[in-house]
Amino acid sequence: MVEFSPEVVDSIIRIASFIAAGTALIAGVGPGIGMGYAAGKATTAVRRQPEARGVIITTMLLGQIISGSTGIYSLVIAIFLVFSV
Amino acid sequence: MKNMDNPIKLQKEILKKTYLIALLPIVSALITGAMDVLLGFVFGLVISTLLLRLKYNNIRRALKMDEEKAEKFIRNRYFIEYAMYLIVLFTAARNQDLNFLAAAVGLFMMKFTVILWTILDLFKDSIQQKLESYK
Repeated sequence: MVEFSPEVVDSIIRIASFIAAGTALIAGVGPGIGMGYAAGKATTAVRRQPEARGVIITTMLLGQIISGSTGIYSLVIAIFLVFSV
Repeated sequence: MKNMDNPIKLQKEILKKTYLIALLPIVSALITGAMDVLLGFVFGLVISTLLLRLKYNNIRRALKMDEEKAEKFIRNRYFIEYAMYLIVLFTAARNQDLNFLAAAVGLFMMKFTVILWTILDLFKDSIQQKLESYK
């Protein structure tokens, strides 16, 4: 069995944590695409029913607040991985 | 949820409830004397409040555009917001006076409040429906 020195093991762990942090950041892309799609549909909805503008804005605002949190989860994990190792 | 047709009133209500819930960790941090936790939490809370306002302005601007333009606009703005979150969390992680996890919880506080509020509303509705069915 191959045995590595502690320095090599440490650097392998560090590299792995950086790769994991980078991978975790990809999770932030999804909400952006989803929010954009929702905004596009909201503009169509406002054009179709201008009197419902207020309700559409509030629904979109609440949706964006909730959907944006998954991106922050990934950021927290990524920064935790970078700074804790 | 009240004020669903008035976005400004809804924002004020969200902020009021968020600050009310945020009093609990702030007071407990003050009592225990954990100043880094307090500062980190307040830092995250202030940034999330400002980003809520930014989100509202972006949505208002997007609704005046075409479908494709609005889609691109909101997507790009989200990535700018994401970069801001990254800077905030990076600052909290690097700075010794700010607690990283407290800053993250401060950023999440508004989302937690909205989710909690929705769950409470659901409970209220289901209880009211049951009461009406008994009558």
